[in-house]
Amino acid sequence: MSARQRRESRRLPVPPDPARAVPLWARAVELRTEWLNHALCCAPADRDTAENAITALYALLDRPRPRFVWVPSPAAAVRLVPPTPPARVTDELWRVEKQLATLVSRLRDRLDHAIHDHWYRYAAHFPPPPDPVLALRSGADLRSVVTRGVHDVLRAVVRESVAGLVRAAIPEERLGLWWGGQHDVDWVAHYDVHRRVLDARFDAADAEQWQLWAALVRSCGWWWPRGDVCVVVERPLAIRTEPVAGSAYGEVRLHNPTGPAVVFPDGWSVHAWHGTRVPAWVVESPTVELIAAERNVEVRRCAIERVGWAAFIDQAGLTLVGRADDPGNPGCELRLYDLPYARWGAPTRLLLAVNGSVERDGTRRRYGLLVPPWFDDPVDAAGWSYGLTGVQYAQLRRRT
Amino acid sequence: MNLAELLDRTNVDALDHLERQATIPVVDGLQAQGDLIVIPMAMLTTVTPDSWAHWQAVAAGGVELVRGVAGNNPHTLVADPDTCWWIGSVHDPLGLAIVMFENIAPVYLVHPEHGGSGVAPGRWLVRRQQERGPHRRRVLIAD
Repeated sequence: MSARQRRESRRLPVPPDPARAVPLWARAVELRTEWLNHALCCAPADRDTAENAITALYALLDRPRPRFVWVPSPAAAVRLVPPTPPARVTDELWRVEKQLATLVSRLRDRLDHAIHDHWYRYAAHFPPPPDPVLALRSGADLRSVVTRGVHDVLRAVVRESVAGLVRAAIPEERLGLWWGGQHDVDWVAHYDVHRRVLDARFDAADAEQWQLWAALVRSCGWWWPRGDVCVVVERPLAIRTEPVAGSAYGEVRLHNPTGPAVVFPDGWSVHAWHGTRVPAWVVESPTVELIAAERNVEVRRCAIERVGWAAFIDQAGLTLVGRADDPGNPGCELRLYDLPYARWGAPTRLLLAVNGSVERDGTRRRYGLLVPPWFDDPVDAAGWSYGLTGVQYAQLRRRT
Repeated sequence: MNLAELLDRTNVDALDHLERQATIPVVDGLQAQGDLIVIPMAMLTTVTPDSWAHWQAVAAGGVELVRGVAGNNPHTLVADPDTCWWIGSVHDPLGLAIVMFENIAPVYLVHPEHGGSGVAPGRWLVRRQQERGPHRRRVLIAD
């Protein structure tokens, strides 16, 4: 039997007819919505449920119930959690979380095995089909669409976008091993849809342990098990999101144009502009001076978008020096502006470029790039940013 | 691996990946992906691999070139087994080089937001973008 045949034979039986696949997909979407609501839930933590679930996980490791310390935000938790010792030190403090990581990793291996699903990690580089229903009607594999439309979407929205931005707002470089509670929703929901929509069968003990992780998704925020103490974070007080325009998967991203996008009960908060984490000033008090001083080009872009490009160019006193077609980016223009010396500190010019790739909402992002003042030709300035001459940069074949 | 094979190996359906293969052009020349640029080595005379560095084959999972500050937007180089070798220690007088790679079949740069860029066989340098910083210094673009 060839490798491909073996792969084929391992596949679960899937409905052969698209007519059955479409309603099953609709059911998967309902479950995804339900799980996403848990992930974005802002109600106070259900402390009893969370403590019981963690106690049961400790029991699976033959450990007694830990002492629970509830904290109002991940930042507060990090201040309480002892620093992670180097990996070679195997004292008691270090071991609970290691054992727990092994426990959950083995659980997921067994569940993956039960649904014959070891491949999705490799597919993660690529976006799911733009229209899942159309894909199913044309005979696409339901399992593939469900995995990418539920697991991958929840991972992108919750783990990478929401939890990722919250994580990035914590200055500490290392947090040790921790679990996400409501933000562990991607893999928990993944096995749930396989069980309830695609009729996967799990071992009873595995299903029972899955219930514990599912209970944590429904009841609390991040948590750090450390020896006989477990630090658990409350759920946020508020999460502000916006739908990702053009998404066929109900994706959302953090966004609040006037205040914090995530607020925890102790006031610790994270600001986000259309899914990009930004400092508070970007949404609350953007000024030309702060924009001029900002080093991160993404933050600067968000702040300028918050002000509005036209208003920014006006307020910042920019004067147009030149414009040219953007090589490799058909239909787009490069513009070079002179910046007033008094405001920007040193003689500098601003190159305004348009992104090569279209956002899912159909717009293209505009970037402002600071360049040395001796360029008059926007193409020369764009070439400099990559260490090339203007003549070389003009040979650009494609920009994405 | 090329995209079709990568997707085949990962059991994603044909309809899906044929379309992807068709929509990602393989470019034999200068091309940019966000804050990265792929430059034919023939265009650069002053960039050389460091003498102690050695070429490595691109592994099945690809080579992550740059990760954005937010941590979730990596640029990844993916290639068929035994078709692409890369070197991470490159002497670039401008300090912008990330990797040099040489491929004998098309390889792909993949990014969650910018999509894919196909690179034709050849020897290439991947550089980051710079901008003018304070005190007339240069800084690398952080996105």
